[in-house]
Formats: sequence, structure tokens, C-alpha cells
Amino acid sequence: MIVTLAILALILLAFLGSPLFVVIAGAAMLGFYTSDIDLMVIIIELYRIVDTPLLSALPFFTLAGYLLAESNTSARLVRVTQALLGGLPGGLAIVAYITCAMFTAFTGASGVTIVAIGALLLPALTRAGYSERFSLGLVTTSGSLGLLLAPSLPLILYGIIVQQMNLPQSIDIKDLFIAGVLPALLMIGLLCAWTLWHNRSHPIPMQAYTSAEALAALNEAKWEIPLPFIVLGGIYGGFFAISEAAAVTVLYLLFIEVLVYREISLRQLPVIIRDAMVMVGGILLILGISLAFTNYLIDAELPNRLFDMIQSVITSKYGFLILLNIVLLMLGAILDIFSALVIMVPIIVPVALQYGIDPVHLGIIFLANMQIGYFTPPVGMNLFIASYRFKKPITELYLASLPFMLVLLFALMVITYWPALSLGLLDR
Amino acid sequence: MSPGRIRKLVQGIEYFEDLLLAVILLLMIALAFAQIVLRNMFDSGIVWGDSLLRIAVLWVALIGAMVASRSGNHINIDLVTRWVGIQARWIVTSISATFTIAICAVLAYHSYRFVRFEFEDGFTAFAAVPNWVCEFIMPLAFVVIALRYLAILVYCLRYRQPMEPDS
Repeated sequence: MIVTLAILALILLAFLGSPLFVVIAGAAMLGFYTSDIDLMVIIIELYRIVDTPLLSALPFFTLAGYLLAESNTSARLVRVTQALLGGLPGGLAIVAYITCAMFTAFTGASGVTIVAIGALLLPALTRAGYSERFSLGLVTTSGSLGLLLAPSLPLILYGIIVQQMNLPQSIDIKDLFIAGVLPALLMIGLLCAWTLWHNRSHPIPMQAYTSAEALAALNEAKWEIPLPFIVLGGIYGGFFAISEAAAVTVLYLLFIEVLVYREISLRQLPVIIRDAMVMVGGILLILGISLAFTNYLIDAELPNRLFDMIQSVITSKYGFLILLNIVLLMLGAILDIFSALVIMVPIIVPVALQYGIDPVHLGIIFLANMQIGYFTPPVGMNLFIASYRFKKPITELYLASLPFMLVLLFALMVITYWPALSLGLLDR
Repeated sequence: MSPGRIRKLVQGIEYFEDLLLAVILLLMIALAFAQIVLRNMFDSGIVWGDSLLRIAVLWVALIGAMVASRSGNHINIDLVTRWVGIQARWIVTSISATFTIAICAVLAYHSYRFVRFEFEDGFTAFAAVPNWVCEFIMPLAFVVIALRYLAILVYCLRYRQPMEPDS
């Protein structure tokens, strides 16, 4: 009775905006206290962070994302893509999808894509002849496109958490990177197709391709273009591990943005580092405390009980996947992606494994859901950022992003029920 | 102490935290890069380099969490706070701040116990650095977070409005 009341109080406190790490710590304390376990175990688990390999990738990639956001990389990226692809039908919209996806892969969908790239593209899209509502919907939903592309932080975090769990079926973050490619391309492809179909009655004039502009744009971005090749080439060429790739990325970006482009001054640097580490601290504190809490849940056999409970209603793998999609979409709309990963992955993965779902495929499903959760009304984060940035009422953004959401929900179905799309390029 | 001097002291601490974060992070980048170069070009490496790097991750994370507490800027569910009016918000903030202080105090106490046990055991983490030195950041961080939420709580109760960032 008292325990039930305490649980309800914790849920209430979570919804009243208490820090999530505090709520989880409270839940862990409640659990350990009622099982007569010394609460120091929470601290011991938190300290286990230092035994987690790869974790240094988190501060490095986060800082890299902040550096990209603070410099003019977004403008150069848009210019290059526009110069190369602007001549295709639907040009500018396709440019928007691709630049957003690439930028998000490196900045990790923290909302910065909408602010940095969306703000550049929105006026350009309306000028090119797309309606305002369409353009708004496009930039709002594209703010989280690219979450499935390497080296996105949520993808790495999913891998780290699953590796922590000592599953019978191990996973490699490199596999996750490869598994995300086709699903991400499917999303971009469907969005492009829908864009062309939607604007079929009033075709958007194409921009002529000129090699002069292409060369000028490439020249302007010549320092940034090698970055993906260095990172992915380094990882798959076996020169460095993923955490090391993160160090190389951030070092290279510091070099070009501070010394070559000179868009970030040495004075700004401590502030940018501080802001990036605030985000890292928030994520890692939740991760560390959750390690304790989920260990308690696993000791209490919650995943097994959950499996038995679901199994008594749903026996098929596909039925379970439908349920999973619904739960994750709702979760993605109220929790930020990192908390959702840290809290839910340790509980969901063991259940999903018993249904015979591959952990790599599950990761792709999980993130695809979260990506849509970013702009699911009423509280998806992208909606608020876009409303704030473009000074539009939030209800207008609900309507504007709805058709894009339907397209991506269709993509989600394909990704969920066609595992080979994610796993085909791997030999699993 | 006069309010002016307290403000100065707080600003000094905040500046020190910012600087510490920048220094640790830049050293981490240098260390990680040195390891890559040493391994790929000289087939060697710093034996305790990886341990140090991972402990540094904990440090930047916890200092980052301390910084986030300055304005109560931790990851949370803002479903309710977004929709309640400004008049009611200070009440909601006070409730969650009180809860945060209580939990952080318990975490600080148990991390202090943990550090003390480790101090008595005297094991080393890497090179000649004892474990407890690396772990010392945990009680410190929870104490600082609790104190900062206490400041937020006092502000809310006194002015009957939520604390704006930078006030």
C-alpha cells in the first residue's frame, strides 16, 4: 500500500518536472530499501560508468555537434547540396531532406538542425514556390531525420546500453551504423516521392546546374567535406575505434572551425564546451543512476514478468511489434530521446529477444519511433522548437507536420515488419 | 557576508567550473589523440591512458550536471510546467526542488560512505592515483546540486515566482 503510494508520488513528481535522474534515483532507493539492500549500491553502479568502454565517444561527439552548430557549417552544407542537387525535380526540398539528415547524423537531433538548417531553408523553400504550410512541415519533421545515420549519438548510446547488458546475442556499434543506412534512405526516398506527388499540380521551377557554382560551393566547404570520410573511413578501415573516431572528429573540427574558418573564437570555446558538457552530464547522470535501477528491475525479474504478461495476450512477434510501436511513439513524444533510451532499452530488449527480435533491428525500430516522436503532437520537441524559432502558433505546426508524419509512419511500418531492410547488409 | 560578496563568490565558482570543464575536455581530446598516434605509428600507448580517460568522462559529466543545476536545467518531463500559468509555476518548481534536494542529500551521503570505504581500502585506480581521489567528485557533485536546488527553492518561496536563468 505504502509502496504503491510512493510509486504514484514518484510518477506525479516526474510529471511536475523534477529532474529525471532524481525520479529514477528515488525509484531505485524505494526498490532497494524495500528489499533491504544498502543504498550505497546506487553509487557503486553510478561509478560503473568508468568501466564502460566507448563512453568517451559521448562527450566528444556532443562537443563536435555543438561546434558544428556554432559555426557556419550549415550554410556551407546547404550551398554544396543545392549546387549539386538543386537541378533535380523538387530540387530544394530534396536538398533540405539530405542536408538535414547529414547535419542531424553529426549533431544528434538536439533540435539544432531546425535552428541552424531549417531557418536557412524555410525562406528559400517558400521563395522557390512551396507553400508556407508545406515548408514549415518539411523543416519541422526533417529536424530529426538522419537519426539512423552514423555516427549519430542516439545510435551509439543504444549500442553502449545493449553491450552493458551481457546478452547472449552481442551487438557491435559498427553493425548498428550499417543497419541504419537503408531505413534512413527509405525515409528520405519516401519523403522525396511524397514531395513530388504533393506538388505535381504546380511543379516547382528547377534551378539550373552550373559547374561554376558547384566548384565554388565545394571550394568553400573543402575543409568540412572530408569529415564523414575521415570518421567512417577510420572506423571501417580499422584505424580507430568508435570512441577514437569521436576524438578525431572533435579535434579536426576544433582545428578547422577555430583556426581555419575562424568562426569560433578561443574565447567562445569554454562556453561552448560548458554547454555541451551540461548535456553530457544530464545524459550520463541518468544513465548511471538508471544502471542501478534497471539492475534492480532485472533482479526483480521485471522483464520476465513483463514478457509473461504480454505473452498471455500477444503471442506473435508482429503483434508484439505493433504494441512496441505504439508504446514507443507515445514515449518519444513525452521523453527526450536519451532518457527514453536509457530507461526503456534495458527493459524492452530482454522482452523483445524472447519474441525472437534481433537487437540490432530493435535498435533501428526504437530510434525510428523516437524520430517520429520528436514531432508527435501535442508535445514533440521539434514542434516547440519550430514554433519558437519561426514564431508560428503550435497548432499550425501540428497541421503542417501531419502529412509528413503519415509518410514517416508508413516508413516505420516497413522498417518494423521487414527486418531484412535493416539486417540485409549484415551477416546476422 | 553581504549580498554583493556572495554574488562575487558564486560568479567565481561558476567561472572556475566552466574553466575546469574546458581544461579537462581539451586534455581528454589530447590524450585520446595521443593514444591513436602512439598505437598506429609506434605500436605502443600509455598504459593507464584509457582508465584516466574514462574517469575523466565521469568528471566532466558530473561537473556538467553541477552546472546544469545552476538554473535547474536538468533533463525532465516538461509536460506540466509548459502548460501551467506563471503564477502556479513557482509552486510546482518548489515541490520538485524540495524533492530534488532530499534525493541528492541521500545520494551525497551514500557516495560519501562509498568514498570513505575506498579510502580505507586504499586501492589504486591507475598509475599511483588512489580510487577515492577519482570517486571524490561524486559526493561533491551531489552536495553542489542539492545546494543549487536549495537556492532555487529559497528564491521561489521568497519571490513567489520561478527563478529565471541568470538571476
